[in-house]
Amino acid sequence: MKQKPSSDNFSHLRWNPFLSLLWREIRRYLKVVFQTVMTPLVNSALYLLIFGVSLGSSIQLQSGIPYLAFLIPGLVMMACLNNAFQNASSSIVSGKFSGDVEDWKVVPLSPSQIVWALSFGGLIRGLMVAALTFLVGQVFMKVEIGEYLGIHSPMTLLFFLMIGGLAFAKIGLIAAFYAKTFDQMSAIGAFVITPLIFLGGVFFSLENLSEFWQNVSLYNPMLYFINGVRYAVLGQTDVPLVKSIVVSCLSLVAFHAAAYYSVKNGRFQRW
Amino acid sequence: MINSSHWVQLYSVQARLKFLNLHVYTVFMLVIQDLVKKYGDFTAVDHLSIALQPGEIFGLLGPNGAGKTSTIATIVSLEEPTSGSVKVFGFEVADSPKKVKSLLGYVPQEIVNHGYFSVEEILKFHSGYFGRLNNKKQIHFLLERLGLMPHKDKKVKHLSGGMKRRLLIAKALVHKPKLLLLDEPTAGVDIELRNSLWEFVRELRDSGVTILLTTHYLEEAEALCDRVGILHQGRLQKVGPTKELIQDLTFRRVQIKTNLSAEDLKKVKGEYSLMGSTLNFKIPSEESLGALLAKTGLPLEAILDISIQEGSLEEAFLNILGRA
Repeated sequence: MKQKPSSDNFSHLRWNPFLSLLWREIRRYLKVVFQTVMTPLVNSALYLLIFGVSLGSSIQLQSGIPYLAFLIPGLVMMACLNNAFQNASSSIVSGKFSGDVEDWKVVPLSPSQIVWALSFGGLIRGLMVAALTFLVGQVFMKVEIGEYLGIHSPMTLLFFLMIGGLAFAKIGLIAAFYAKTFDQMSAIGAFVITPLIFLGGVFFSLENLSEFWQNVSLYNPMLYFINGVRYAVLGQTDVPLVKSIVVSCLSLVAFHAAAYYSVKNGRFQRW
Repeated sequence: MINSSHWVQLYSVQARLKFLNLHVYTVFMLVIQDLVKKYGDFTAVDHLSIALQPGEIFGLLGPNGAGKTSTIATIVSLEEPTSGSVKVFGFEVADSPKKVKSLLGYVPQEIVNHGYFSVEEILKFHSGYFGRLNNKKQIHFLLERLGLMPHKDKKVKHLSGGMKRRLLIAKALVHKPKLLLLDEPTAGVDIELRNSLWEFVRELRDSGVTILLTTHYLEEAEALCDRVGILHQGRLQKVGPTKELIQDLTFRRVQIKTNLSAEDLKKVKGEYSLMGSTLNFKIPSEESLGALLAKTGLPLEAILDISIQEGSLEEAFLNILGRA
């Protein structure tokens, strides 16, 4: 008569399934690195050229910072958020189409492991694109201003990029589990994510808005992510740093709870 | 004969022993007790109870919509049961899904296309999901055994249908499970591959793996399964050892070619149909040829040839469905 396996026999399930899924996520976008990392970089370069160089020369900020320097931290965070979102959502949506996601449900991956593996997978892609965007921004700075852009607080920069990247990967996961078709998925991107990011202060300072729109913007959690990064790079921000930290962390907790609920109760069956 | 209800009763004895802190469980790899799965008003699985013994191949048979795939989906946590209990190695699926999943292998009915990844990469990731990060030996064994080694660097979309199906089987076995669930494993594969897969499934059974198989091919079930359960409209109509089921539910057809004249043929006793000088008998499976010949009173010198056609699982299956 066989003995029931003891709980110790399952210790290999604590980290290994998570690490495997995370590595799969990273390998997935590295396989198509041109479209996952290089393409967003082209977008960032165009933004820098059109807004930072061309239009930016006629924009004067009250703080006296060159508009190009003001724009770079925003673009860095936008690249991080967008790519973290894209990675998690496209991984799930394509997996639902191919049947790949169904595998996750029948292997010993817990909902938490799925959420964290996809979150970190998205974050790492976000950080890669963000770093490259910053490097391209430095080239524009050197050419246009004649000097490189320094980083006021590297740890704060890393903190906000990580919180933002994780949060947006979780949003991507929630959206992909919610979506029933490819069209629904792109609608979520177009009608929710892009407006939130664009209105979160990537291209403008809160001080340039009327009081009404300033108050509206304060309800957009992206404002805090983006201003956190802006503070980390420039040492200046529209929103107090502590407030940015608190709102960003609370947003992450809320998005994690929603992502966990989506995985726990979502359908893994193929489309 | 021990049937599934006896196994379920035995399992509850185990549960009582467990309550008394006597750790003598896991006689059964899988115990499904009173399982109900509903989709809205439609009942896909209706109070199903079966128990799988270690090292057997159990076939779950039934027409389309009988509830076979829904049953497997609840075992692997793809679907939640409406009511009832599913236990693997004594672990309740609903309570310990992660542990249960780590103990079983699942081959789905539909092909999975893994996009960017090669065959070997897919197996590495899949092995990792089961906690085995360094599992090259088992992965290479499966690639060799299933004839996928020359294709290990190919993407799924470049594999033939048969190779894709073999990959599904390799994925299910990458962590050496003791319970394997095969949902229509040979659907759409050619005869040669089907035969080699049958051989492989038997090898697995002989190495101690318990196998639950659903199939439309009754020939396959007859060739492979030690026991079968027949589902119809979600209900288990009959369960038992395959051979016994065939014997209980089918007839032997005995054809005796004679050199008797029409006059002498009239003297042959028993129920038969006549075709020229050939007598066609339909006798219970357990009745021997000797008993038949003795009953008919046919002289041996009058018999030119005898052919016997045994009952098949298909006949038993149709018999059960006809009665359901």
